[in-house]
Amino acid sequence: MKEFEMREAGQDKNLRAKVGVYICECGPNIAGKVDLDKIIADLSQLDDYQDVELVVKKYGFLCSGPGKEFLEEEIRSNGYTHLVVGACSPRDHDSTFMGVCKKTDLNPYLYRIINIREHCTWVIDDKEKATEKAFSYIRGGISRVLRQSELFEKPLDINPDVLVIGGGIAGMEAALSLSGEDRRVFLVEKTDHLGGISLDLSGLLPGQGEIIKNKIDSVTEDKNIRLFLNTSVETVIGFLGNFEIELVSIENAETTDIMAGAIVVATGSSLFDPGESAHLSYSESDEVYTSLSVEKMFSGEGEARLRSGKKPSSVALIHCVGREEKNYCSGICCSYMMKLAGFFRNQSPDIQVTEFYRDLCLPQKDDQERYTEAEAAGVEFVRIKDISIKGTEVSFEKMNSKKSEQSFDMVVLAPAIVPSADTEELADLLTVPLDESGFFQEVHKMTNPVGTSTDGVFIVGTAHGPKGVSDSMQFARASAGQILTRLIPGEKLIPEVKVTEILEAYCTGCGNCLDVCVYGAIYSDDSRGISVVNEAVCRGCGNCYGSCPSGALRTKHFTNTQLYREVDEALR
Amino acid sequence: MEDKAGVEFVPSIVGFLCNWCTYAAADLAGSSKFALPPSFTVIRVMCSSRIDHNLLLSTYFKGADGILVAGCHPGDCHYGEGNYYARRRFALLKKVMETLNLDPERLQLSWVSASEGKRYAEVVGEFTEKIKELGPNPIKNSTRF
Repeated sequence: MKEFEMREAGQDKNLRAKVGVYICECGPNIAGKVDLDKIIADLSQLDDYQDVELVVKKYGFLCSGPGKEFLEEEIRSNGYTHLVVGACSPRDHDSTFMGVCKKTDLNPYLYRIINIREHCTWVIDDKEKATEKAFSYIRGGISRVLRQSELFEKPLDINPDVLVIGGGIAGMEAALSLSGEDRRVFLVEKTDHLGGISLDLSGLLPGQGEIIKNKIDSVTEDKNIRLFLNTSVETVIGFLGNFEIELVSIENAETTDIMAGAIVVATGSSLFDPGESAHLSYSESDEVYTSLSVEKMFSGEGEARLRSGKKPSSVALIHCVGREEKNYCSGICCSYMMKLAGFFRNQSPDIQVTEFYRDLCLPQKDDQERYTEAEAAGVEFVRIKDISIKGTEVSFEKMNSKKSEQSFDMVVLAPAIVPSADTEELADLLTVPLDESGFFQEVHKMTNPVGTSTDGVFIVGTAHGPKGVSDSMQFARASAGQILTRLIPGEKLIPEVKVTEILEAYCTGCGNCLDVCVYGAIYSDDSRGISVVNEAVCRGCGNCYGSCPSGALRTKHFTNTQLYREVDEALR
Repeated sequence: MEDKAGVEFVPSIVGFLCNWCTYAAADLAGSSKFALPPSFTVIRVMCSSRIDHNLLLSTYFKGADGILVAGCHPGDCHYGEGNYYARRRFALLKKVMETLNLDPERLQLSWVSASEGKRYAEVVGEFTEKIKELGPNPIKNSTRF
């Protein structure tokens, strides 16, 4: 293919292309491993293109300050139409050199970095072979860059306000963190009060009840926070920076339209219903309680009594209720069951407390200490394979297969933490996927646990998965941090430029691409009978490309012409 | 493998790597200075799901001796589910190739995460050895296409 095609570049056919090729020596990393002068000489003599002028040069460290200035000056003075930089990985310095282009008239998408360090000079020892390979990679880069098109960033105005769904501890913390930085927050709560499950846990730590009450007061009095009680979210459309949301009052079905730039989901969780378990008969009239009811007794009356009014003299604490059914560990039950054991022992020092567990999970920093103390104080820990409960009769099988039965005055169950009832509905509304356990799915467990695949929607607290109060609050602050750094009042947002476009002439409107798009970035334009990409939402993964039966899709900056050129050059 | 003249067969192998996992692994293999065969050429795409059948078959018909598609491990896709789609399409393509009497063994799909530089070097090394065993892609000298 000797004839240079300008069509792809979208430029005047008569314009002569002038490609600058700059090879970074990267100290000895590149210059010491290949014969740069030979590469430069060979590239300069390249006769692949009749009407393309090549200028090939090398430089010590292109990514250095003087290197960038040199490159900028070269682009300006030579009037390049395209630029190729033979250097390191685009993961290291693509944005560096794009930044240099942006200072000049050269569109940054008419530049290409070629990774001859990581993929060539660092992995090929033989100097001759490395030289040949580096030459081939750069030659391929020239061929590809000539087929690249100018792309333009389209900055979008943003709305810096935030919608927080759920007024529990996580939602309140997110709202307060944001309002503290002068952001307006819409806080939507479906019940008639703030606080969520944390209100029942006020016996948790000394003074914690006060902390939660103070938070509720702060939220209520905060002028930046507009509170909607007895309200649910009806519709959500939009993307990071621009969401349109319709709220509906549960009391009178009145609707309110609001606009926000980001959404924090803090809808919490509920508890596994022990009645669902085949091994347990669960009824408070039989003196069998969930941990939450006992928490309420301690936080309300300060003590836990039997229905007869007497204090129990023996109590069984059953961990891991629903773990088998749900197939995950809730992670916080062991810790709070040991705390409850402490409450029972404070109430009646002679009480017999037995904890039945499948596995002990002690992740928090003082859990181990609490366990050692409880054991020393006479709390019995029994590791079981199987357990069944009839009233307060507990039959269990130990790890050594020994079966026993024991009767208690009171039985307390620690049910698994499960997604709250309306999770699925909300997930649909927000186009956020759920994980295997039915909680909202994060972007990445380690690197971004609060983000979701719908950019601008964040998950905090137990809506993300089982966690305690402190973790819930940390998640809330993390989401606020991300929002504060990404949505800055007065600044515009630059969406992904390398997006997919649909060519109307080829599109049959079959909708395959809609189905495979994880981001909901493609919609159907019924009046025209075609599918259309919302460029503000598209992330440019290209998954839709393979789903199109009529070749109507074009993935910008990774077009067929461009990729096929790379293949041709690789096989040359 | 050597041909009649005793010249060692150097295969042309193209690797389509996803930007987020395997391309990063290739970078890590580079900065770890693991030796890699010069016959392997990297083409970066944003996601393994961008690699469609036409691109792979064209690469095959253009004479690639081996084609590697590599991306994030299942469940780890930067775009959520892209690699699941890639996996399904790849399985289908292999069936299609069998039907067309093409050699599906010359195509390989591997999962290599960003932290697996060593594994990347192993995958590329082993695949290259395998292609050397298979010898040149006969399609190169075929007049059928």
